[in-house]
Amino acid sequence: MNLSAAPVPRYEVGVDIGGTFTDVVCRSDRGMMRLVKIPTTRANPSAGVLNAVQYMAREWGVLPEQIVRFVHGTTVATNAVLERKGAKIGLITTQGFRDTLEIGRQNRHAVYSVMLKPETPVFLVPGALRREVPERVTASGEVLVALDEAAVRREVDDLVAQGVSAIAVSFLFSYLNQAHERRVAEIIGEMHPQLMVSLSCEVDPAFREYERTCITAFDAYLKPVIDRYLENMETDLESNRVGSALQIMQSRGGVASSRIARRRPVRLFLSGPAAGVIGGSMAGDAAGYEDIITIDIGGTSADIALVSRGKPLIAAEGMLDGYAVRVPMVDVNAIGAGGGSIAWLDGAKSLRVGPASAGSEPGPACYGRGGELPTVTDASIVLGYVDPGYFAGGSLRLQPELSRRAIEEKIARPLGMSVEQAALGIHRVVNANMAEGIRFVSVKRGIDPRRFGLVPLGGGGPVHAAALARELGMRRVIVPLHPGVLSASGLLSAPVEHEAAVAFHDPLDHASATDLTRELAALDRQCAELMRVEGIAPEAVDIQYFADVCYVGQSYHLEIPLKPAGDVLARVRKDFFAAHDRIYGHSAEGPVQFVNLRSVHQARASAVAAEGNYVPEEGDPRKGARAILTEKSGGFVEAQVYERRRIRPGVTFYGPAVVEQADTTTVIEPGWRAEVDGRGNLVLTQGESK
Amino acid sequence: MNRVDRNEVVDPITTEVIRNKLEGIANEMELTLLKSSFSPIVKEGLDTSASLFTVKAETLAQACAIPVHLATLIPTIRSMLQRYPLETMKEGDAYILNDPYCGGTHLPDIAIMTPVFHHGRVIAMSATMTHHGDVGGYSPGSLPTNSTEIYQEGLRIPPLKFREAGAYNETLVALLRQNSRLPDTLMGDLNAQLAACNVGARRLRELADVYGADLLMAIFDELLDRSETMTREALRKIPEGTYRYVDAMDNDGIELDKRIRVEVAVTVRDGTIEFDLAGTSPQVKGPMNCVPSGSQAAAYYAVRVLTDPTIPTNGGCFRPVSLKLPPGSLANPVEPAPVNARTSTIKRIATSMVSALAAALPDRVAAPAAGTLLVVAFGGTGRDGKRYIVGELIAGGSGAAQGLDGVDVVDTDASNCMNLPAEALEMEAPIRLRRVELRRDSGGAGEFRGGLGVVREYEILADGVTFTHRGERHYSAAPGLEGGQPGAPARSMILRAGGAEELIPSKALTVLNRGDRVIVETPGGGGYGDPRRRTTIADDIANGKVSAEAARLLYGRS
Repeated sequence: MNLSAAPVPRYEVGVDIGGTFTDVVCRSDRGMMRLVKIPTTRANPSAGVLNAVQYMAREWGVLPEQIVRFVHGTTVATNAVLERKGAKIGLITTQGFRDTLEIGRQNRHAVYSVMLKPETPVFLVPGALRREVPERVTASGEVLVALDEAAVRREVDDLVAQGVSAIAVSFLFSYLNQAHERRVAEIIGEMHPQLMVSLSCEVDPAFREYERTCITAFDAYLKPVIDRYLENMETDLESNRVGSALQIMQSRGGVASSRIARRRPVRLFLSGPAAGVIGGSMAGDAAGYEDIITIDIGGTSADIALVSRGKPLIAAEGMLDGYAVRVPMVDVNAIGAGGGSIAWLDGAKSLRVGPASAGSEPGPACYGRGGELPTVTDASIVLGYVDPGYFAGGSLRLQPELSRRAIEEKIARPLGMSVEQAALGIHRVVNANMAEGIRFVSVKRGIDPRRFGLVPLGGGGPVHAAALARELGMRRVIVPLHPGVLSASGLLSAPVEHEAAVAFHDPLDHASATDLTRELAALDRQCAELMRVEGIAPEAVDIQYFADVCYVGQSYHLEIPLKPAGDVLARVRKDFFAAHDRIYGHSAEGPVQFVNLRSVHQARASAVAAEGNYVPEEGDPRKGARAILTEKSGGFVEAQVYERRRIRPGVTFYGPAVVEQADTTTVIEPGWRAEVDGRGNLVLTQGESK
Repeated sequence: MNRVDRNEVVDPITTEVIRNKLEGIANEMELTLLKSSFSPIVKEGLDTSASLFTVKAETLAQACAIPVHLATLIPTIRSMLQRYPLETMKEGDAYILNDPYCGGTHLPDIAIMTPVFHHGRVIAMSATMTHHGDVGGYSPGSLPTNSTEIYQEGLRIPPLKFREAGAYNETLVALLRQNSRLPDTLMGDLNAQLAACNVGARRLRELADVYGADLLMAIFDELLDRSETMTREALRKIPEGTYRYVDAMDNDGIELDKRIRVEVAVTVRDGTIEFDLAGTSPQVKGPMNCVPSGSQAAAYYAVRVLTDPTIPTNGGCFRPVSLKLPPGSLANPVEPAPVNARTSTIKRIATSMVSALAAALPDRVAAPAAGTLLVVAFGGTGRDGKRYIVGELIAGGSGAAQGLDGVDVVDTDASNCMNLPAEALEMEAPIRLRRVELRRDSGGAGEFRGGLGVVREYEILADGVTFTHRGERHYSAAPGLEGGQPGAPARSMILRAGGAEELIPSKALTVLNRGDRVIVETPGGGGYGDPRRRTTIADDIANGKVSAEAARLLYGRS
């Protein structure tokens, strides 16, 4: 390296492609951060990446070759499922079990209905493309019936003749003995090297055959689609002279190189929301809060996640399009309440809000796109929270008279109240609903929300945050610099992460520390190989181990951090009892067993320095005043309106106030103090009025 | 007590805010219950529920994962109030009950209730019910399949004080512990119930602090009135008349050749609905009898299916509902008839109540589902000398409707249970599952096909395995609708290692040995519409759901 050369600026770029907008964040090694929202090209989302590269060169003078890291958060895996645009695939199972995928677990979601819909994702691979072959491994992992290779060849040939482009393989007990599944992969490779293969012992080596088969079928269904998508993107970046390797955000909140992500598409389901939670945790961290709750309020839903000690809580399985999928992801809990949620009167004239949503088409009444039903956003307009002329930075001109009319006709007049009182009612009802959602998610994880900071995300989050925090007794709200594009900035903050797990069912009483160490070492080799592919030096990698542990006989488990030194087994037992007590309110001495072991390798991803100090724009942040109505204010009160980008760090002001910025509006109720911190976060504190 | 004029103080916004909070509180109680309970049946079977009640013993809000629990606490709370009137209650009291003949369900379900005090006045009640691991009686788990009187099923608890002014009733606790095979689990789960009741009470008190107890209680009344209004409104949309339905259950496990009749007459008139079970069989010798709380849960489930799903569930929904349960019948047995196996009866009564309205509400009511949950259990001593018992609950197919095929192998109506993975079963017992597959041709033929049942084939790998089989729909099929055909009845058999084949007559208790096999085939759901109009029969054949032969015979395809 030539140290004397003039320093060339280096940039890191995060691109989050959503359904409507593509958010681009660019950070230089000098601490400067820029961002832009550009419309997503629906037909070809990856074109958005090129648009971003060209925009940055044109508007910001960021040359492609100066981009040292390019991180992408994508909804393409999720959308392929929602739109049923995955590949035609085949499934090969143990003889006698080809219907496992379709039978599922036999429980249902619609409890009070007799008009039922299938609970399992049969669309992935219907009966005609599910094949079985003679083979059998026992519950202790021994081969009982040898794999019938001739049958495998026959079925594979026939599936290929049917036009499949990928094959999923899921045999009973393959998490104990992988030999048969691996042999099938070899045979397919010899016969039809172009076929993509997903093995259940690789995708999800854990017990319960339905869950394992299901996620393996999802993997095969997505593989050809994701592979093509990411390969195209890699090629496009190269041909545009972006020298750096493409990185993709995974559902657990870590990034991986595109070449690796292509191999395991089911890890991308929560790519976008995971980045949002990471972004939220960075904002909380900067404000001195490592325990936070993020609430991302969009058009149709509010997504709630918990971050404890700076780490997002991970769930071992999640929901996708109504199907339970067993793949680890940031634990994001959606409730059906957002800005587009429709307010309506039920048969007894009770004011209800949601779960039906006006979405973005036709959207709230104020969009003027033909929506005549009043929504939460319409109420925000009437209450003075949102300036109709400055919504989404003025890119969408709202029509407040349509909001008033919708609320007047559908709510206020039938209830015999004023439009303003009806609008406040809509907010009170939706806030009560969201607050109960936050409380439920917290209690479920054994957490008291009052100890936590609230980090609102999305365009709608900061509108409701103070009211929600008051409702829940939370004292602090941290509004990140750009809550509307936090997913994109979260992309730049996330570590590179690789994780591997193995089923390990030994009871603690009989487990040997040697076996444990051996299994962890095997997992480490898998992760280390992936880190090698990433080009990351071993000394830069931070390794953490976890064990899923339960009482013998329990069918759910807890993830316990593992430190493989000293008397590891005794410590696991003690930590398990403590965790069980914290989360479930009790624990008892009793036989305990392992379920899975997991190794997580992380490395700092960012090649450039951390963000520098926040520098506001010049000028007076005060841009006038307008009347707002909040639950606490009694009637309309005059609120000072601030322009966010001009508020200087350290300046304190008090509610009632409204802070405006291009991507959101923060409502500060009376009784709250506000201040911008050194990183540009807007921090609200309850109970400190002027 | 301060009375307030409700119309003056209650506004529709605060009412809805409070409603959201009450549902949140019930959910938090249920969560507390699930998290802090010990026994697997609570945690995994979700066999538990939490409710808030008004001081008049009407449901304010309830959280339950399975409809069997819907409103079953109502007769329990009434019974407690009768024995211990409000004015005798003290802060820190908790009441307990499990006797089916005093408002309970079956003996393992124990209810705990605490009054919610605010400034010395009872403003509401917080209650929970949990299925406990063992309450005595002659079989472990307190669910003897061949009991003939309730005394064999376990300890009966009439309405009693579990705690008085914050102190445990030590006499009762000692007696409970002495009568359970799992005394620690029993007490752990009872305390979990108490903890959940306390969560509900604490949060209700917080609400009363914020809104004032008078306003809060006025809002409770308002919420019940609103749900009542909406339910009556929804019932008025059903064409008036009396709708009848008759079905048969296989037997009671004691008298194997005696079929059991379930007959319902549903009368809808002027915003009310009455369920009359006249014509239903007299109570049976075996434990299939269903006490009134069960028949009532079935009726409330039916009302929730038949009316507007957006109506908030509370006691107001149940005001327009009445039941006529002939004393001494299957649906209202006389003590000391055994009752522990009443779930299959509740399921059948529920399905019959809903199916009666099929012609009146074609948009809401599908052809009948198989509506059964086969119970199989294997027990013995493993090679390690430890005893094992593994049981599973196996569903059949659901019914088809206009535009909708039935769903294969799905639990329906009053229960909602998961199956047991092969990989879990084989780890716990010396049994190998040879196949688990959709049962071809079992779905009722129709333009829209009924859901399929499942075939499970077990191979026994050790000697001396006790085997329990409690089936249904072996001798009657789920009928079709509008020209659709019935689903296939259930069929189960034992293939002995020596070659003998034994057909299981719906219920069986026997011993299996190494090399024996058991094949169970669960029933299918009813079809809808003329099968010859089905357009996707080629797919059905390709996907293995209909055989070529059935396609020819039933669907008219050559």
